[in-house]
Parts: sequence; C-alpha cells; structure tokens
Amino acid sequence: MKLEPRFLEKVANSAIQEGIADIVYSEFDTPLGRLLVARSDKGVCLIAYPGESQHALLGRLSTSLSPRIVLSQEALAKTQAIIISYLEGHTSSIDIPVDLTLVTSEFGRRVLDNVSLVARGRVTSYGRLAQECGHPGAARAAGTALGRNPVPIVVPCHRVMPSTGIVGGYGGGSWRKQYLLELEGALPKS
Amino acid sequence: MSSLPPFWLLVEQHGDELMRYARRLSGDDAEDVLQEALLKALRSYPKLGDGNHLRAWLYRVTTTAAWDHSARRRRRPEVLTDSLPVTMTDPHENDDDFGSLIGQLSPGARAALTLRYVEDLSYESIGTRLGCSPEAARQRVSTAVRSLRKRLT
Repeated sequence: MKLEPRFLEKVANSAIQEGIADIVYSEFDTPLGRLLVARSDKGVCLIAYPGESQHALLGRLSTSLSPRIVLSQEALAKTQAIIISYLEGHTSSIDIPVDLTLVTSEFGRRVLDNVSLVARGRVTSYGRLAQECGHPGAARAAGTALGRNPVPIVVPCHRVMPSTGIVGGYGGGSWRKQYLLELEGALPKS
Repeated sequence: MSSLPPFWLLVEQHGDELMRYARRLSGDDAEDVLQEALLKALRSYPKLGDGNHLRAWLYRVTTTAAWDHSARRRRRPEVLTDSLPVTMTDPHENDDDFGSLIGQLSPGARAALTLRYVEDLSYESIGTRLGCSPEAARQRVSTAVRSLRKRLT
C-alpha cells in the first residue's frame, strides 16, 4: 500500500494551517532543470539546482532552521509560478521575500544584500562588490560568499562576472549563469 | 541546532507501513487515524531529544492516535444527545500514554508490543528475548496488535 499524494498533501496542508510546519518545500521543473525550493514563514530560504541530494539539502534545513519540514506542492504553487514565469521570460522581476537564515556570516549577508541591488540586465565584478561591502581586496571572499548563496536566481548572484569578461563560475554550472544573463539582456543571446 | 532528520523524510520512509498498521488497528478509519498521528508527531517532534528509535516512536504515536480516534467515536452519540458536554482533553497526548494503553493487555501482549514499538527490536531480537523463533515473535506481535484492535472497537 503506497501512500497517495492526495493524502500526503492533505496532511501537509493541515500542518501548515495549524502552524506546525516550520519549513515547506516542493520540487518542480524549470528551464534550468528541476529545482528544490523551500520557504519558512519569513520567505524563501533555499533554492537548489539538481546535483545535491534531497536528503542533504533538507538535512541542512533541519539542522539550521527546524526539523518540522513538510512537502507541499499546493503551498508553494504561487512561488513556483513566479519563478517559472521569470525563467521563461514572461515577467521581468521576481518579487519573493527571502529568508537568509542559512547565511551565518555577516560578510556573507552583506555580499548578498549588495548583489541584490544589481539591476536586471547589469553586472558587477567580484572586486567591485567586495569594495561596496567595505572590504576592498576581498574579491575572492566575495566570490565564496556568492557561491554559498542559498537562494540563487532570487538573490541574483549570477550578476557578478570576473573582470576578464568571461561568464565565470556559478554554483549551478556556467550554462545556467549564461542562460540567466542572456535572459536578462546582460549578454547577447548565443 | 537540531540533530533530528527532516520530518517529511520520516513520513516518506515509514508512511506506508504506518498506514498498514493504522488499517490493522482502525480499519476504514486508517487515513483519519494516520493523519491525526502524523500531525500529533509533528507537534511534538522538536521536543524529542535525539533521533533514535524514531520508527518505533511513530508506531506508538499511531497507536495512541487510533485509541483517541476510537474514544472520540464512542463518545460521539453522547454528544449528540442532551448529556453534559464531553471534555475533549486528550488523555494520550504524551508518549508515556502508550504504556498505559497497552497496560490493559495481557502481560505477553504487552511484552511483545513493548519490545517491538518501544525498544524498537527486530523480530529476531524479540525472539531471543522471549525465547522463541523470529517467526513466533512476529506472530506474538501480530496477536498483540489484534488484541489492541479489539479494545479500540
């Protein structure tokens, strides 16, 4: 006897309504592959590209935020629609509240706050970002902080490129960074 | 910082067997019982000290949820008449209540359920403790669950 998705969704929704589900997550397909998205009551706290195991990702949330984690496609339907619409190019902004609890260092938070100010269609460099965070010369540390961004796409860490002009590294892989920068008009369509 | 696994992974891992167990205890009400059990488990989940024996814990929570469900069903006709309002306090909210619930069974049934759903032992280990084969241990647990069900209906 396999538990039916309808039953599981009902349990999850009851838990959410009662306020005992601290984290809700779901997985869905996008032009960038299947994403795992999780949110707390403050906002989206994790967006993960395919690659890292679901157990490891949820385990990280359990350890750092709360073990009361449930799966619900319904509860994240709106968030899912916003992300897919953006990635398919139907909308030009992605307004979703974020929860950066997983970012534990003050410098890391500052880097992500600053990169959020880079407008769609624009890019900055690691060095310049570090400078704006008050740490000129800490370009490499800024890169590390961007690599640990728990909510890529929404916090646009892809809008940082090496000063050499190449696309550069990205947690989700260079092709995803290229896709996002082309989508936003920062790079010509290849 | 929690060392507990994400709750939903437990549901994915043990949900099917818990549904089978709920069906054995509560028949057609199994879905309602399991839903109540999972919500009850989620409510108290962060208070668990560690991640040991979580499967056995879920069985105990399901057992008490089946009992609560049965008790509510038995009370329902009284509520519909003009009798005094029934107090809906939950006598089995705590995990310890599993002990008082199975305390109403025979010593043999109690031992089988305790070894399986409190000590979280395999049928092989239960057999060793009770001095019987693993298959006989499985039978004893099964008989004990049936006795439990009789008390719920």
